[in-house]
Amino acid sequence: MNWIGLWTMVRREIQRLARVPIQAVVAPLISALLFIFIFGFVVGGRIRNFGQFNYLEFVLPGVVMMNVISAAFLQATSQIYFQRFQKSIEEILVAPLSYVEMIAGTVSIVVLRSVFTAVGIMVIGWLFGAVHMKSLPEFLFWVVFVSMIFGFLGIIVALWAKTFEQLNILMVFFIQPLAMVGGVFNTVAMLPPWLRFLAYGNPLFYFINGLRHSMIGFTEVNEWLGAMLTVGLTAVLGGIVWRLYAIGWGLRE
Amino acid sequence: MTPALDISHLRKVYRGGTVAVEDVSLTIQPGDFFGFLGPNGAGKSTTIHCITGISNPSSGTIKVFGVDAVANYREARKLVGLSPQEFNVDPFATARNIVDWMGGYFGMPKALRKARTEMLIERFDLVPHANKPFRELSGGLKRRVILARAMVHDPKLLILDEPTAGVDVELRMQLWGYLQELNRDGKTILLTSHYLEEIERLCRNIAIVAGGRIIRNGPKEEFFTEPGGLERAYLAATGKSADHVSAGAA
Repeated sequence: MNWIGLWTMVRREIQRLARVPIQAVVAPLISALLFIFIFGFVVGGRIRNFGQFNYLEFVLPGVVMMNVISAAFLQATSQIYFQRFQKSIEEILVAPLSYVEMIAGTVSIVVLRSVFTAVGIMVIGWLFGAVHMKSLPEFLFWVVFVSMIFGFLGIIVALWAKTFEQLNILMVFFIQPLAMVGGVFNTVAMLPPWLRFLAYGNPLFYFINGLRHSMIGFTEVNEWLGAMLTVGLTAVLGGIVWRLYAIGWGLRE
Repeated sequence: MTPALDISHLRKVYRGGTVAVEDVSLTIQPGDFFGFLGPNGAGKSTTIHCITGISNPSSGTIKVFGVDAVANYREARKLVGLSPQEFNVDPFATARNIVDWMGGYFGMPKALRKARTEMLIERFDLVPHANKPFRELSGGLKRRVILARAMVHDPKLLILDEPTAGVDVELRMQLWGYLQELNRDGKTILLTSHYLEEIERLCRNIAIVAGGRIIRNGPKEEFFTEPGGLERAYLAATGKSADHVSAGAA
Protein backbone atom coordinates (compact mmCIF):
# COMPACT_ATOMS: atom_id res chain seq x y z
CA MET A 1 0.00 0.00 0.00
CA ASN A 2 1.41 3.39 -1.03
CA TRP A 3 0.42 5.22 2.19
CA ILE A 4 2.56 8.25 1.42
CA GLY A 5 0.92 8.58 -2.01
CA LEU A 6 -2.51 8.24 -0.47
CA TRP A 7 -1.76 10.83 2.21
CA THR A 8 -0.38 13.16 -0.47
CA MET A 9 -3.72 13.02 -2.27
CA VAL A 10 -5.48 13.94 0.97
CA ARG A 11 -3.16 16.79 2.00
CA ARG A 12 -3.17 18.22 -1.51
CA GLU A 13 -6.97 18.37 -1.47
CA ILE A 14 -6.98 19.88 2.03
CA GLN A 15 -4.71 22.62 0.68
CA ARG A 16 -7.08 23.16 -2.25
CA LEU A 17 -10.07 23.40 0.11
CA ALA A 18 -8.16 25.88 2.25
CA ARG A 19 -8.16 28.16 -0.79
CA VAL A 20 -11.99 28.13 -0.91
CA PRO A 21 -13.07 28.20 2.76
CA ILE A 22 -16.37 29.99 2.15
CA GLN A 23 -17.51 27.43 -0.38
CA ALA A 24 -16.15 24.41 1.50
CA VAL A 25 -16.87 25.26 5.12
CA VAL A 26 -18.89 28.41 5.71
CA ALA A 27 -21.67 27.91 3.12
CA PRO A 28 -22.97 24.56 4.44
CA LEU A 29 -22.87 25.81 8.02
CA ILE A 30 -24.84 28.97 7.20
CA SER A 31 -27.34 26.92 5.24
CA ALA A 32 -27.71 24.51 8.18
CA LEU A 33 -28.04 27.39 10.62
CA LEU A 34 -30.91 28.84 8.59
CA PHE A 35 -32.65 25.44 8.33
CA ILE A 36 -32.33 24.91 12.07
CA PHE A 37 -33.47 28.43 12.90
CA ILE A 38 -36.46 28.58 10.53
CA PHE A 39 -37.73 25.02 10.49
CA GLY A 40 -36.59 23.95 13.90
CA PHE A 41 -36.75 27.04 16.05
CA VAL A 42 -39.34 29.38 14.46
CA VAL A 43 -41.76 26.86 12.92
CA GLY A 44 -40.90 24.03 15.30
CA GLY A 45 -41.59 26.25 18.29
CA ARG A 46 -45.26 26.14 17.32
CA ILE A 47 -45.39 22.36 16.93
CA ARG A 48 -45.84 21.18 20.47
CA ASN A 49 -46.92 17.56 20.28
CA PHE A 50 -44.36 15.66 18.28
CA GLY A 51 -44.01 12.41 20.11
CA GLN A 52 -41.53 12.62 22.94
CA PHE A 53 -39.21 14.96 21.02
CA ASN A 54 -39.46 18.59 20.16
CA TYR A 55 -39.47 19.39 16.47
CA LEU A 56 -35.94 20.77 16.44
CA GLU A 57 -34.56 17.53 17.89
CA PHE A 58 -36.44 15.63 15.20
CA VAL A 59 -35.31 17.86 12.32
CA LEU A 60 -31.63 18.17 13.26
CA PRO A 61 -30.55 14.65 12.09
CA GLY A 62 -32.21 15.29 8.74
CA VAL A 63 -30.42 18.61 8.35
CA VAL A 64 -27.12 16.93 9.24
CA MET A 65 -27.72 14.16 6.71
CA MET A 66 -28.75 16.54 3.92
CA ASN A 67 -25.53 18.47 4.40
CA VAL A 68 -23.40 15.34 4.65
CA ILE A 69 -24.85 14.15 1.33
CA SER A 70 -24.33 17.52 -0.29
CA ALA A 71 -20.76 17.91 1.02
CA ALA A 72 -19.79 14.39 -0.10
CA PHE A 73 -21.23 14.73 -3.59
CA LEU A 74 -19.83 18.21 -4.21
CA GLN A 75 -16.40 17.26 -2.90
CA ALA A 76 -16.12 14.23 -5.17
CA THR A 77 -17.45 15.94 -8.28
CA SER A 78 -15.39 19.10 -7.89
CA GLN A 79 -12.18 17.24 -7.03
CA ILE A 80 -12.31 14.79 -9.93
CA TYR A 81 -13.87 17.07 -12.53
CA PHE A 82 -11.44 19.93 -11.90
CA GLN A 83 -8.50 17.53 -12.05
CA ARG A 84 -9.81 16.22 -15.36
CA PHE A 85 -10.45 19.74 -16.62
CA GLN A 86 -6.92 20.90 -15.72
CA LYS A 87 -5.44 17.53 -16.73
CA SER A 88 -3.74 17.42 -13.32
CA ILE A 89 -5.39 13.99 -12.93
CA GLU A 90 -2.46 12.82 -15.08
CA GLU A 91 -0.20 13.37 -12.05
CA ILE A 92 -2.10 10.56 -10.36
CA LEU A 93 -2.25 8.36 -13.46
CA VAL A 94 1.53 8.37 -14.00
CA ALA A 95 2.24 7.64 -10.31
CA PRO A 96 2.63 4.13 -8.82
CA LEU A 97 -0.82 4.20 -7.23
CA SER A 98 -3.22 1.29 -7.56
CA TYR A 99 -6.80 1.97 -8.59
CA VAL A 100 -7.89 1.21 -5.03
CA GLU A 101 -5.39 3.77 -3.70
CA MET A 102 -6.53 6.39 -6.23
CA ILE A 103 -10.16 5.87 -5.18
CA ALA A 104 -9.30 5.68 -1.46
CA GLY A 105 -7.42 8.98 -1.70
CA THR A 106 -10.47 10.69 -3.18
CA VAL A 107 -13.01 9.06 -0.87
CA SER A 108 -10.91 9.77 2.26
CA ILE A 109 -11.17 13.49 1.71
CA VAL A 110 -14.88 13.12 0.90
CA VAL A 111 -15.42 11.42 4.27
CA LEU A 112 -13.25 13.95 6.10
CA ARG A 113 -15.17 16.89 4.65
CA SER A 114 -18.51 15.23 5.43
CA VAL A 115 -17.53 14.47 9.03
CA PHE A 116 -16.26 18.02 9.43
CA THR A 117 -19.56 19.38 8.08
CA ALA A 118 -21.57 17.08 10.35
CA VAL A 119 -19.58 18.15 13.41
CA GLY A 120 -20.02 21.83 12.49
CA ILE A 121 -23.80 21.42 12.24
CA MET A 122 -23.87 19.49 15.51
CA VAL A 123 -22.14 22.43 17.18
CA ILE A 124 -24.83 24.76 15.79
CA GLY A 125 -27.51 22.32 16.98
CA TRP A 126 -25.86 22.22 20.39
CA LEU A 127 -26.14 26.01 20.60
CA PHE A 128 -29.90 25.56 20.09
CA GLY A 129 -29.96 22.83 22.73
CA ALA A 130 -31.09 20.18 20.23
CA VAL A 131 -28.21 17.69 20.20
CA HIS A 132 -28.68 14.19 21.56
CA MET A 133 -26.36 11.28 20.93
CA LYS A 134 -27.79 7.87 21.63
CA SER A 135 -24.96 6.00 19.91
CA LEU A 136 -21.80 7.70 18.61
CA PRO A 137 -20.56 4.58 16.69
CA GLU A 138 -23.94 4.34 14.96
CA PHE A 139 -23.81 8.08 14.16
CA LEU A 140 -20.33 7.70 12.66
CA PHE A 141 -21.45 4.63 10.71
CA TRP A 142 -24.18 6.63 8.98
CA VAL A 143 -22.05 9.69 8.30
CA VAL A 144 -19.10 7.69 6.97
CA PHE A 145 -21.03 5.18 4.83
CA VAL A 146 -23.48 7.70 3.39
CA SER A 147 -20.65 10.07 2.53
CA MET A 148 -18.87 7.18 0.80
CA ILE A 149 -22.00 6.40 -1.23
CA PHE A 150 -22.34 9.98 -2.42
CA GLY A 151 -18.59 10.24 -2.89
CA PHE A 152 -18.74 7.28 -5.28
CA LEU A 153 -21.78 8.76 -7.06
CA GLY A 154 -19.91 12.06 -7.33
CA ILE A 155 -16.89 10.32 -8.86
CA ILE A 156 -19.08 8.57 -11.44
CA VAL A 157 -20.78 11.84 -12.39
CA ALA A 158 -17.42 13.67 -12.56
CA LEU A 159 -15.98 10.98 -14.84
CA TRP A 160 -19.03 11.14 -17.08
CA ALA A 161 -19.49 14.93 -17.22
CA LYS A 162 -18.26 16.85 -20.23
CA THR A 163 -19.38 20.25 -18.92
CA PHE A 164 -19.74 21.99 -15.55
CA GLU A 165 -23.49 22.07 -16.15
CA GLN A 166 -23.70 18.27 -16.15
CA LEU A 167 -22.14 18.09 -12.68
CA ASN A 168 -25.35 19.49 -11.16
CA ILE A 169 -27.89 17.26 -12.89
CA LEU A 170 -27.95 14.47 -10.31
CA MET A 171 -27.93 16.89 -7.39
CA VAL A 172 -30.71 19.14 -8.68
CA PHE A 173 -33.03 16.55 -10.16
CA PHE A 174 -32.55 13.55 -7.87
CA ILE A 175 -30.57 14.02 -4.68
CA GLN A 176 -32.13 17.23 -3.37
CA PRO A 177 -35.76 16.21 -4.15
CA LEU A 178 -35.22 12.75 -2.66
CA ALA A 179 -33.67 14.30 0.47
CA MET A 180 -36.63 16.65 0.86
CA VAL A 181 -39.17 13.82 0.63
CA GLY A 182 -36.95 11.46 2.61
CA GLY A 183 -38.23 12.43 6.03
CA VAL A 184 -36.08 15.41 6.93
CA PHE A 185 -39.04 17.49 8.12
CA ASN A 186 -41.75 14.89 8.67
CA THR A 187 -42.43 11.31 9.64
CA VAL A 188 -43.77 8.79 7.15
CA ALA A 189 -46.92 8.60 9.26
CA MET A 190 -47.59 12.25 8.43
CA LEU A 191 -47.79 11.43 4.72
CA PRO A 192 -51.06 10.27 3.13
CA PRO A 193 -50.95 6.45 2.82
CA TRP A 194 -50.83 6.60 -1.00
CA LEU A 195 -47.65 8.70 -0.81
CA ARG A 196 -45.76 6.57 1.69
CA PHE A 197 -44.14 4.53 -1.07
CA LEU A 198 -42.15 7.68 -1.81
CA ALA A 199 -40.45 7.28 1.54
CA TYR A 200 -40.04 3.51 1.66
CA GLY A 201 -38.73 3.37 -1.91
CA ASN A 202 -36.32 6.21 -1.28
CA PRO A 203 -32.82 5.20 -0.12
CA LEU A 204 -32.30 8.64 1.43
CA PHE A 205 -35.19 7.95 3.81
CA TYR A 206 -33.20 5.02 5.31
CA PHE A 207 -30.08 7.20 5.68
CA ILE A 208 -31.98 9.98 7.46
CA ASN A 209 -33.92 7.50 9.57
CA GLY A 210 -30.71 5.73 10.55
CA LEU A 211 -28.96 8.93 11.60
CA ARG A 212 -32.05 9.99 13.52
CA HIS A 213 -32.04 6.66 15.34
CA SER A 214 -28.39 7.11 16.29
CA MET A 215 -29.12 10.56 17.72
CA ILE A 216 -32.56 10.41 19.36
CA GLY A 217 -33.50 6.73 19.10
CA PHE A 218 -36.51 7.42 16.86
CA THR A 219 -37.03 5.05 13.92
CA GLU A 220 -39.79 4.26 11.47
CA VAL A 221 -38.22 1.15 9.93
CA ASN A 222 -35.89 -1.53 11.19
CA GLU A 223 -32.55 0.28 11.30
CA TRP A 224 -30.69 -2.94 10.45
CA LEU A 225 -32.53 -3.08 7.14
CA GLY A 226 -31.30 0.43 6.41
CA ALA A 227 -27.78 -0.43 7.52
CA MET A 228 -27.65 -3.49 5.24
CA LEU A 229 -29.00 -1.47 2.33
CA THR A 230 -26.33 1.17 2.98
CA VAL A 231 -23.42 -1.28 3.19
CA GLY A 232 -24.68 -3.08 0.07
CA LEU A 233 -25.03 0.16 -1.88
CA THR A 234 -21.54 1.25 -0.78
CA ALA A 235 -20.06 -2.05 -1.97
CA VAL A 236 -21.87 -1.94 -5.34
CA LEU A 237 -20.96 1.69 -6.07
CA GLY A 238 -17.39 1.12 -4.86
CA GLY A 239 -17.13 -1.84 -7.25
CA ILE A 240 -18.48 0.21 -10.14
CA VAL A 241 -15.99 3.03 -9.47
CA TRP A 242 -13.11 0.53 -9.21
CA ARG A 243 -14.12 -0.95 -12.57
CA LEU A 244 -14.31 2.51 -14.17
CA TYR A 245 -10.82 3.32 -12.91
CA ALA A 246 -9.50 -0.03 -14.14
CA ILE A 247 -10.77 0.54 -17.68
CA GLY A 248 -9.87 4.23 -17.52
CA TRP A 249 -13.40 5.46 -18.34
CA GLY A 250 -13.29 9.26 -18.34
CA LEU A 251 -9.72 9.13 -17.03
CA ARG A 252 -7.52 7.84 -19.80
CA GLU A 253 -7.59 8.66 -23.46
CA MET B 1 20.74 -6.80 -21.15
CA THR B 2 17.12 -5.91 -20.37
CA PRO B 3 16.09 -2.93 -22.52
CA ALA B 4 15.08 0.26 -20.73
CA LEU B 5 12.05 0.41 -22.98
CA ASP B 6 10.72 -2.33 -25.20
CA ILE B 7 7.62 -1.54 -27.24
CA SER B 8 6.21 -4.28 -29.40
CA HIS B 9 3.47 -3.85 -32.01
CA LEU B 10 1.83 -0.97 -30.14
CA ARG B 11 -1.47 0.18 -31.56
CA LYS B 12 -3.71 2.91 -30.27
CA VAL B 13 -7.14 3.63 -31.67
CA TYR B 14 -9.15 6.43 -30.08
CA ARG B 15 -12.88 6.32 -29.57
CA GLY B 16 -14.29 7.40 -32.89
CA GLY B 17 -11.85 5.26 -34.79
CA THR B 18 -8.84 7.55 -35.19
CA VAL B 19 -5.71 5.41 -35.40
CA ALA B 20 -3.02 7.41 -33.57
CA VAL B 21 -0.36 4.71 -33.38
CA GLU B 22 -0.09 1.77 -35.77
CA ASP B 23 2.21 -1.17 -35.11
CA VAL B 24 5.02 0.71 -33.39
CA SER B 25 7.93 -1.41 -32.19
CA LEU B 26 10.89 0.19 -30.52
CA THR B 27 13.74 -0.82 -28.24
CA ILE B 28 15.78 1.61 -26.17
CA GLN B 29 18.81 0.31 -24.33
CA PRO B 30 19.69 1.42 -20.79
CA GLY B 31 21.79 4.58 -20.78
CA ASP B 32 20.66 5.63 -24.25
CA PHE B 33 19.68 9.15 -25.20
CA PHE B 34 16.94 8.45 -27.69
CA GLY B 35 15.34 11.01 -29.99
CA PHE B 36 11.75 10.64 -31.13
CA LEU B 37 11.13 12.89 -34.10
CA GLY B 38 7.96 13.52 -36.00
CA PRO B 39 5.53 16.17 -37.18
CA ASN B 40 2.49 17.24 -35.17
CA GLY B 41 -0.04 14.43 -34.90
CA ALA B 42 2.51 11.78 -35.83
CA GLY B 43 1.79 9.71 -32.72
CA LYS B 44 4.76 10.67 -30.53
CA SER B 45 2.75 11.94 -27.58
CA THR B 46 0.24 9.11 -27.85
CA THR B 47 3.07 6.58 -27.68
CA ILE B 48 4.42 8.35 -24.61
CA HIS B 49 0.95 8.44 -23.05
CA CYS B 50 0.65 4.69 -23.54
CA ILE B 51 4.03 4.14 -21.85
CA THR B 52 3.15 6.30 -18.85
CA GLY B 53 -0.48 5.29 -18.26
CA ILE B 54 -2.22 8.39 -19.53
CA SER B 55 -3.64 6.37 -22.43
CA ASN B 56 -4.70 2.75 -22.65
CA PRO B 57 -2.95 0.93 -25.50
CA SER B 58 -5.41 -0.82 -27.83
CA SER B 59 -2.96 -3.67 -28.42
CA GLY B 60 0.72 -4.52 -28.22
CA THR B 61 3.07 -4.65 -25.26
CA ILE B 62 5.20 -2.08 -23.45
CA LYS B 63 7.94 -3.12 -21.06
CA VAL B 64 9.96 -0.71 -18.94
CA PHE B 65 13.18 -2.39 -17.75
CA GLY B 66 11.39 -5.70 -18.32
CA VAL B 67 8.28 -4.70 -16.35
CA ASP B 68 4.98 -4.81 -18.24
CA ALA B 69 3.52 -1.29 -18.20
CA VAL B 70 -0.06 -2.58 -18.32
CA ALA B 71 -0.11 -5.83 -16.32
CA ASN B 72 2.34 -4.59 -13.68
CA TYR B 73 1.67 -0.89 -14.05
CA ARG B 74 2.60 0.17 -10.50
CA GLU B 75 6.13 -1.22 -10.75
CA ALA B 76 6.55 0.17 -14.26
CA ARG B 77 5.42 3.66 -13.19
CA LYS B 78 8.10 3.81 -10.48
CA LEU B 79 10.77 3.63 -13.18
CA VAL B 80 9.48 6.44 -15.37
CA GLY B 81 9.44 10.22 -15.05
CA LEU B 82 7.39 12.24 -17.51
CA SER B 83 7.63 15.85 -18.56
CA PRO B 84 4.55 16.21 -20.78
CA GLN B 85 4.03 18.61 -23.60
CA GLU B 86 1.04 20.28 -21.92
CA PHE B 87 1.08 21.86 -18.46
CA ASN B 88 -1.03 19.31 -16.60
CA VAL B 89 -0.98 20.90 -13.14
CA ASP B 90 -3.22 22.71 -10.69
CA PRO B 91 -2.55 26.31 -11.78
CA PHE B 92 -3.22 27.66 -8.29
CA ALA B 93 -0.63 25.40 -6.63
CA THR B 94 2.86 26.70 -5.95
CA ALA B 95 5.92 25.43 -7.81
CA ARG B 96 7.28 23.87 -4.61
CA ASN B 97 4.02 22.06 -3.87
CA ILE B 98 3.77 20.71 -7.42
CA VAL B 99 7.20 19.10 -7.16
CA ASP B 100 6.69 17.93 -3.59
CA TRP B 101 3.28 16.37 -4.30
CA MET B 102 4.67 14.35 -7.17
CA GLY B 103 7.35 12.99 -4.84
CA GLY B 104 4.58 12.09 -2.43
CA TYR B 105 2.60 10.22 -5.09
CA PHE B 106 5.71 8.19 -5.76
CA GLY B 107 5.85 7.23 -2.08
CA MET B 108 8.99 9.21 -1.22
CA PRO B 109 9.42 9.80 2.53
CA LYS B 110 9.21 13.42 3.64
CA ALA B 111 12.94 14.01 4.28
CA LEU B 112 14.01 12.56 0.93
CA ARG B 113 11.21 14.36 -0.89
CA LYS B 114 12.13 17.68 0.68
CA ALA B 115 15.82 17.26 -0.16
CA ARG B 116 15.09 16.33 -3.79
CA THR B 117 12.52 19.12 -4.18
CA GLU B 118 14.88 21.78 -2.86
CA MET B 119 17.78 20.45 -4.94
CA LEU B 120 15.70 20.59 -8.13
CA ILE B 121 14.26 24.02 -7.31
CA GLU B 122 17.80 25.29 -6.95
CA ARG B 123 19.02 23.41 -10.01
CA PHE B 124 16.36 24.97 -12.22
CA ASP B 125 16.78 28.47 -10.74
CA LEU B 126 13.32 28.41 -9.26
CA VAL B 127 14.23 29.60 -5.76
CA PRO B 128 12.68 33.11 -6.11
CA HIS B 129 9.56 31.59 -7.69
CA ALA B 130 9.09 28.47 -5.57
CA ASN B 131 6.17 29.82 -3.55
CA LYS B 132 4.38 31.54 -6.41
CA PRO B 133 1.26 29.97 -7.92
CA PHE B 134 2.03 28.15 -11.16
CA ARG B 135 -0.33 30.37 -13.17
CA GLU B 136 1.72 33.46 -12.26
CA LEU B 137 4.92 32.05 -13.73
CA SER B 138 6.23 32.78 -17.22
CA GLY B 139 6.21 30.04 -19.88
CA GLY B 140 9.87 29.22 -19.33
CA LEU B 141 9.49 29.02 -15.56
CA LYS B 142 6.45 26.78 -15.94
CA ARG B 143 8.49 24.45 -18.13
CA ARG B 144 11.21 24.29 -15.47
CA VAL B 145 8.64 23.32 -12.81
CA ILE B 146 7.34 20.53 -15.04
CA LEU B 147 10.88 19.25 -15.60
CA ALA B 148 11.67 19.36 -11.88
CA ARG B 149 8.45 17.45 -11.19
CA ALA B 150 9.43 14.74 -13.68
CA MET B 151 12.77 14.23 -11.96
CA VAL B 152 11.75 14.39 -8.31
CA HIS B 153 11.66 10.61 -7.81
CA ASP B 154 14.92 10.12 -9.72
CA PRO B 155 13.44 7.82 -12.40
CA LYS B 156 15.60 5.40 -14.38
CA LEU B 157 13.81 6.36 -17.60
CA LEU B 158 13.12 10.02 -18.20
CA ILE B 159 10.60 10.86 -20.90
CA LEU B 160 10.64 14.45 -22.11
CA ASP B 161 7.90 15.43 -24.52
CA GLU B 162 9.09 18.63 -26.20
CA PRO B 163 10.72 19.93 -23.03
CA THR B 164 12.23 23.03 -24.61
CA ALA B 165 9.14 24.22 -26.47
CA GLY B 166 8.66 27.90 -25.63
CA VAL B 167 11.75 28.29 -23.46
CA ASP B 168 14.47 30.87 -24.02
CA VAL B 169 17.90 30.07 -25.43
CA GLU B 170 19.61 30.37 -22.06
CA LEU B 171 17.37 27.81 -20.37
CA ARG B 172 17.56 25.56 -23.41
CA MET B 173 21.35 25.50 -23.20
CA GLN B 174 21.20 24.99 -19.44
CA LEU B 175 18.73 22.16 -19.82
CA TRP B 176 20.79 20.48 -22.52
CA GLY B 177 23.79 20.55 -20.21
CA TYR B 178 21.78 19.07 -17.37
CA LEU B 179 20.28 16.33 -19.55
CA GLN B 180 23.73 15.39 -20.86
CA GLU B 181 24.98 15.23 -17.29
CA LEU B 182 22.08 13.00 -16.26
CA ASN B 183 22.68 10.77 -19.25
CA ARG B 184 26.41 10.52 -18.47
CA ASP B 185 25.40 9.36 -14.99
CA GLY B 186 23.48 6.51 -16.59
CA LYS B 187 19.94 7.81 -16.90
CA THR B 188 18.05 6.69 -19.98
CA ILE B 189 16.33 9.56 -21.75
CA LEU B 190 13.62 9.54 -24.39
CA LEU B 191 13.26 12.96 -25.94
CA THR B 192 10.72 14.23 -28.43
CA SER B 193 11.36 17.53 -30.09
CA HIS B 194 10.63 19.60 -33.14
CA TYR B 195 14.11 21.04 -33.01
CA LEU B 196 16.38 18.92 -35.20
CA GLU B 197 19.35 20.72 -33.73
CA GLU B 198 18.36 19.53 -30.27
CA ILE B 199 17.99 15.91 -31.35
CA GLU B 200 21.23 16.12 -33.31
CA ARG B 201 23.13 17.52 -30.36
CA LEU B 202 21.80 15.28 -27.60
CA CYS B 203 20.67 11.93 -28.96
CA ARG B 204 22.61 8.82 -29.88
CA ASN B 205 19.72 6.99 -31.51
CA ILE B 206 16.81 8.44 -33.42
CA ALA B 207 13.41 7.25 -34.59
CA ILE B 208 11.31 9.21 -37.04
CA VAL B 209 7.59 8.69 -36.71
CA ALA B 210 4.87 9.79 -39.11
CA GLY B 211 1.24 8.79 -39.51
CA GLY B 212 1.43 6.67 -36.36
CA ARG B 213 4.25 4.49 -37.70
CA ILE B 214 7.99 4.45 -37.25
CA ILE B 215 9.42 5.33 -40.63
CA ARG B 216 13.12 5.20 -39.76
CA ASN B 217 15.03 4.10 -36.71
CA GLY B 218 18.75 3.91 -36.15
CA PRO B 219 21.94 5.40 -34.73
CA LYS B 220 22.44 9.12 -35.28
CA GLU B 221 25.50 8.51 -37.45
CA GLU B 222 23.34 6.70 -40.02
CA PHE B 223 21.41 9.89 -40.67
CA PHE B 224 24.52 12.01 -41.01
CA THR B 225 26.30 9.86 -43.54
CA GLU B 226 23.56 10.74 -46.01
CA PRO B 227 23.61 13.97 -48.00
CA GLY B 228 21.46 16.62 -46.27
CA GLY B 229 21.84 14.95 -42.89
CA LEU B 230 19.02 14.61 -40.45
CA GLU B 231 16.92 17.38 -41.96
CA ARG B 232 16.70 15.74 -45.35
CA ALA B 233 16.15 12.33 -43.78
CA TYR B 234 13.36 13.76 -41.65
CA LEU B 235 11.64 15.48 -44.56
CA ALA B 236 11.98 12.42 -46.75
CA ALA B 237 10.66 10.14 -44.03
CA THR B 238 7.66 12.37 -43.42
CA GLY B 239 6.84 12.48 -47.12
CA LYS B 240 8.30 15.87 -47.98
CA SER B 241 11.48 17.03 -49.58
CA ALA B 242 13.64 20.01 -48.67
CA ASP B 243 12.93 21.48 -52.12
CA HIS B 244 9.20 21.06 -51.61
CA VAL B 245 9.37 22.81 -48.22
CA SER B 246 11.50 25.65 -49.65
CA ALA B 247 9.08 26.13 -52.53
CA GLY B 248 6.17 26.20 -50.10
CA ALA B 249 7.90 28.80 -47.97
CA ALA B 250 8.61 30.96 -51.02
